[in-house]
Amino acid sequence: MPSRRHFLAGLAAVALPRLSWADAGNPAFLSAAREPSGAYALFGLDAEGQDLFRIPLPDRGHAATAHPTAPEAVAFARRPGRFALVIDCVAGRVKHRLDIPAGRHFYGHGAFLQGGEILATSENDIESGEGRIGIWSRAEGYARIAEFASGGIGPHEIRAWADDTLVVANGGIRTHPDRGREKLNLADMRPNLSYLSAAGEVLERIELPSDLHQNSIRHLALAPDGQVAFAMQWQGTPDAGVPLLGLHRPGGTVVLAEADLAEQMAMEGYAGSVAYAADGQYVGITSPRGGRLHLFHPDGRFAASHRRADVCGLAPGARGVVLTDGMGGVFRSGSAGLSRLALAERAWDNHLVAIPS
Amino acid sequence: MRAFLAATFCFAAAPAFAGIDEVIESHVLPGTEAFAEATTALASAATDDCTAQNLRDPYHTAFDSWLGISHLRLGPIEEEGRGLAISFWPDTRGLVGRTAAGLVADEDPVVESPEAFAEVSIAGRGLLALERLLFEDDLAGYSADSYSCALAQAIAGDLARMAGEIDREWQDSFAASLRSAGAGGNSFFLSEREAAQALYTALVTGLDFVADQRLGRPMGTFEAPKPLVAEARRSGRSLRNVGMSLEALRELAQTLADHPIPETEAAFAAALERAEQLDDPVFAGVASPSGRLRVEALRTLVSEIASAAAKEIAPELGVSVGFNSADGD
Repeated sequence: MPSRRHFLAGLAAVALPRLSWADAGNPAFLSAAREPSGAYALFGLDAEGQDLFRIPLPDRGHAATAHPTAPEAVAFARRPGRFALVIDCVAGRVKHRLDIPAGRHFYGHGAFLQGGEILATSENDIESGEGRIGIWSRAEGYARIAEFASGGIGPHEIRAWADDTLVVANGGIRTHPDRGREKLNLADMRPNLSYLSAAGEVLERIELPSDLHQNSIRHLALAPDGQVAFAMQWQGTPDAGVPLLGLHRPGGTVVLAEADLAEQMAMEGYAGSVAYAADGQYVGITSPRGGRLHLFHPDGRFAASHRRADVCGLAPGARGVVLTDGMGGVFRSGSAGLSRLALAERAWDNHLVAIPS
Repeated sequence: MRAFLAATFCFAAAPAFAGIDEVIESHVLPGTEAFAEATTALASAATDDCTAQNLRDPYHTAFDSWLGISHLRLGPIEEEGRGLAISFWPDTRGLVGRTAAGLVADEDPVVESPEAFAEVSIAGRGLLALERLLFEDDLAGYSADSYSCALAQAIAGDLARMAGEIDREWQDSFAASLRSAGAGGNSFFLSEREAAQALYTALVTGLDFVADQRLGRPMGTFEAPKPLVAEARRSGRSLRNVGMSLEALRELAQTLADHPIPETEAAFAAALERAEQLDDPVFAGVASPSGRLRVEALRTLVSEIASAAAKEIAPELGVSVGFNSADGD
C-alpha cells in the first residue's frame, strides 16, 4: 500500500528524534488505576514502586502493552472494547487511536513483534465467535495491516518471543457485545494454549484434559529460559480447588501446579495475573478473590502463599515479583513474604506491566 | 453512578474508626473464646464417653459457636487452612464422606497422634467429618472401643486445638494488628481504612455466603433443586446455621458502624423473622416449587441486607468491596 500517508509516516519517523524509555524517566512498570476522584489514569512506576508519571485515561482500561524501546504504551479499553489508545509516555498524551474494524472487538491485551514495529492484538470476530489476532503497523501510524485466526475462541493475553513466535491464551469463552460480558458457551467451552508464527500458522496447540475444559486459559508469562506459564479462571463452582497454573515448553507436556487443598480452594478458582521472577526462580499467580499470591518453583512445586486483600497486578521484579492491589499498595515478594514498596491513594487495576529493560 | 462511586471510594482524611475496637472487643474476642470453650467441652466429652449419643449436644454447641466467628475470614482463621479444616462445606466433590469413610474402613492409625491427625486432609477433619460419625445411621452406632470412637476423639481434639490457636492468635497479635493499622511496622494493614475494609469485606462476604451457598446451593435451579447438598443436613442444622450466621453478621454490622444503621437493622430483622417462620430445617422443601419459592424469598431478604450495608456502612468507613475481586477479567 504505497500511499501518501505511508510516505509521510516514514518521513516523520526519520525526521523526529528517537525517544527512549529513558526520556520517560526509565519506568520499570506501567499500571492503570482508579483515582479517589473516580477518574482513571495510567501510571509509570520505578523499580521501587514510586510514581514517575501519570497520564489521564478516558475510562477504565484493562491491560497496557509497553513498546520494547520507544516510550509508548498501548492501553486497551475493557472488553468488549472497540478502541485502544497509543500513549506517548513522555508528552503524556494520546498519540494514536486504534479503531477496530466493524464486527470485531478487542479482548484487552496485545504484544509487540519485530522489535516493536508490529503490534498484535487479541480480538473477537463477533458473529462467528472466532478468535482473531489483529496486526497493526507502528511505522504506518498503527494502521491495521492484517489479521489471522487466534486458534480458538476468546483469545485473551498474548505474548511474543524474541523470534516473533506468538503465544496465545485462547480462553475458550464465547461472548457477544449485545449480551455484555455474558458467557455463552460454558457447557462446551474448550480453551487452549496456541503457539503461532508471526504469519499466523499454528505451530502447536495445547488443550487440557476434558475434566478441566471449563478452566479458561487467560493470562501468560514467559520465563527467561523459554518456559511458558499460563493462569486460568475456573468457570465451575469456585470451591472445586482445581489447578490454576499450567507450565509448558513447546513440544513438552503440561505441568499443572497446585498448592495444598485448603490453599488451592482459597484461590476461589480465579487467577488474575501470572509472572515469573526476573531470574526465573519462581512463578507466581494472584487471586484478588482469594486475596493471595501463590508462588511455585518452575517445576510446579508449591513454594509459598502470601495473603493480601484484592491483590491482582503481578510482574517480574529485580528480585522476586512485584505486585499491586486495589487499595493502592505496591509490594515486592520472594518466598519469605511481602515487603511494601509504596502505598498510594488509588486502586490499582488488574495488571502490572513490566517495561523491557 | 459517578456520585455513587465517589461516595463509596473516598479517601478523604479518615477518622479514627471507633468501630474497629468495638468489633474486636464486643464481637471477635467473645466469639473466639466461646468457640475455644465449646470445642474444649466437646473434646473432653469425647474423652469421657465418645459415643454418638453423648456427643451430639456438645457437637451442636460447638457448631453454634463456630457460626459466631466463621465469617471472620481474615487473620487466624485463614492461617493453615483452619477455616476449611473446621468446616469443609460446600463440598462439591463429596470429599468429606469419602475421607471419613476411608479413615473408618482402613482403621487408619493416624488418629493415635494429634500431630499426625493435624496433617489429615482437611475434608476428613472438622465439624462436617464429625457429623458423619455422630448422625449418619450406618456410622453412628459405634461402640466405645471402636475405631470410630478414636476417630471422634481425634476430630474433637483437633477442633479444640485449632479453636484454641485461633483464640490465642487473635488475642496475642491479630487484634493488635487491626488496632495499629497504618502504624509503621504493621505489615497486615497499611492504613486504618484497610482494617475497616477487611472487616467490611468479612461482613459482605459472610452475607454472600449465606445467600449464595447456604441457601443457593440447595436451591440449585428451578428445574434441578438440590436439597441433599444443604449444609449440615445430617445433623438437621441447615436452617439453624443460616439464622445463627445472620445473628453473628448483625453483631458485626452493629459493632463496625459508628452510627445508627436503621435500614441495615430492619433488613436483618426481616431476614431473621423469615428464617424463623420457614419451618424447613434442612431445606427439604426446595424439592417442590412452592417450598423453593419460600427459600428464595429468604435469600432475597439476605441480599437486601448487603445492599443496605453498602449504603449505610461503607460510605462512612470510606470502603467498598475490592476493585479487582469484584470485577476481574
